[in-house]
Amino acid sequence: MTHKRFWEWFIFPGGIWIALLFAIPLFLVLALSFGHVDDFGRGVYGFSLDNYKDVFDATYVPVLLRSVGYALATVVLCLLIGYPVAYFIARYGGRYRYALLAALVIPFFVNYLVRTYAWVALLADQGLVNNLLVDWGLTESPIQMINTPYAVIGGLVYGYIIFMILPLYGSIERMDPSVIEAGKDLYGSPLQTFIHVTLPATQAGILAGCVLVFLPAVGDFVSAQLLGGPDTYMVGNLIQDQFFAASNWPFGSALTVVMMIFLAVWMVFYLRRASKGEAEVL
Amino acid sequence: MSGEAIGIQGVTKSFGDFVAVDDVNLSIAQGEFFSLLGPSGCGKTTTLRMLAGFEVPTEGRILLEGEPVEKVPPHERNVNMVFQSYALFEHLDVEGNIAFGLKRKKVPKAEITTRVAEALELVDLSSRAKARPNELSGGQRQRVALARALVNRPRVLLLDEPLGALDLKLRRQMQIELKAIQREVGITFVYVTHDQEEALSMSDRIAVMSEGRVAQCGPPEEVYEHPKEEFVAGFIGISNLLEGKVESGGRVRIGDDCLAVPDLGEGHADGETVQIAVRPEKVAVDEFEGEPYRIEPDMFTVEGEIESKVYLGVGNQLTLKLVNGSRLVALEQATYRMRADEQWEVGQRVKIGWHPEHCMVLS
Repeated sequence: MTHKRFWEWFIFPGGIWIALLFAIPLFLVLALSFGHVDDFGRGVYGFSLDNYKDVFDATYVPVLLRSVGYALATVVLCLLIGYPVAYFIARYGGRYRYALLAALVIPFFVNYLVRTYAWVALLADQGLVNNLLVDWGLTESPIQMINTPYAVIGGLVYGYIIFMILPLYGSIERMDPSVIEAGKDLYGSPLQTFIHVTLPATQAGILAGCVLVFLPAVGDFVSAQLLGGPDTYMVGNLIQDQFFAASNWPFGSALTVVMMIFLAVWMVFYLRRASKGEAEVL
Repeated sequence: MSGEAIGIQGVTKSFGDFVAVDDVNLSIAQGEFFSLLGPSGCGKTTTLRMLAGFEVPTEGRILLEGEPVEKVPPHERNVNMVFQSYALFEHLDVEGNIAFGLKRKKVPKAEITTRVAEALELVDLSSRAKARPNELSGGQRQRVALARALVNRPRVLLLDEPLGALDLKLRRQMQIELKAIQREVGITFVYVTHDQEEALSMSDRIAVMSEGRVAQCGPPEEVYEHPKEEFVAGFIGISNLLEGKVESGGRVRIGDDCLAVPDLGEGHADGETVQIAVRPEKVAVDEFEGEPYRIEPDMFTVEGEIESKVYLGVGNQLTLKLVNGSRLVALEQATYRMRADEQWEVGQRVKIGWHPEHCMVLS
């Protein structure tokens, strides 16, 4: 008993850390979201719902929907690209498994902003890809690639695909290979076996990957800022602008709170599945 | 039994330089309970996997009811497998698992329902039809795996160490049940195991495998009583091996003693060195002095002493050291006349005997 008491004290450093640096700022954001801006552009605390009305104003709803749409597209693309990669490494990687995984993870040691800039250099009108296309005579003039939704979604896929591949790898690697053989033995063609056996057996990894990609993608602002234009404005950009360009902290706070609630709903859904053993918790 | 269910003709399977199965020839009859027995790495599982279609033979032919199938993929073969790990589909309930094969074969819904119910009845799991595999005990999971395969009425059922994961008691019970189910459905069973007792008690015939080849194939009694080589004698049951020299007149000299072996067989030259094997349960031990109690008049007898004694409850396992230095194990069954804990002390001088016809001469 006394032993256990002793270890319980170790909760305090981390607890205090979270209270100071996470809970208090969060509370301040929540409080500020009910405030307004004074004549000098400073945020003032108050008790008004005006900021929340503005969030759901016709000007901003398309931005919210666009963010969700881009994030969903990112999730689907990450799944389609990531599943075969994870499957190959887990089932056929053999002794190169960890080397292959490391090769996937190493690019993520480079700052996300820098990696996204690299895509600007590639996709710009005078960028590498367009220059090559023109040089080879495949097009007469550069193709508009940057400042399109495709570029933004591409940037998001590139930025977050590792969060799809790793949980998928985990669940595919853990799957008993004889389950796939059982599917074939019971008259399932390779495609039927994949749909009726492999996919359900790895659904925990699929769900985890989707949530882990969706959450950061929906709030991302780097990809839209660097690879997009005014038409690809996402909620992350909107919030960033309120805090830096427009200096409307209360409205930025309200946007943040709405996003948080939206993501929390997803998170609860995911954790409930995870607690039933149907999803993977990383 | 009528006709051949499976023909394995000159089948070899190599993985790179490693030859897992080496020129195996077997013919398995319809309705037979056929076991592939051997230690791990002997090629028994690879042979089974070639029958299922998971491996393609490097050489040779596999016939299923006369049709060559070695190139047919598993989902087009009318055989089913019970996996060592059971390989149940965790996302489906028991019924869903059992119906899986019938659904892939597009069997009408109504028929699926009745056949699944029958299969559940057969393995005595009707009450757990809606349970998920992870809610079942090991024995129940094993039955689901069996029902999931049998419901398809395959020509041949392949079983890969199906009882390996169960505890001993459950294993014994499932052995009896499996055998009963096999008799009831009349399907040919090909059973892979490394447990010699399991193979002996369940099979119609056993193929003992070693290093990729079939060392001996025959009914359990034959494989146990007349092993053809040292490996078989040693792998199935314990065998005492004694080295001897062939003398004229069908006699073998072991140390100073001479033993007349009734079925020495042809082709043994005088002076040739042979291995004589005797099963521990055939060895009788008596006190050196006094009236013979277990040793019978027509037995071959030698002198020795008790080197160690293991009390087994149902009897004693004695390790005996002969005068010439070689060792013998004797298994002595306690009977209504004696208790296993009453006799024998380590170091005691004893008389050891066995009937000459219980000697097996190994090549």
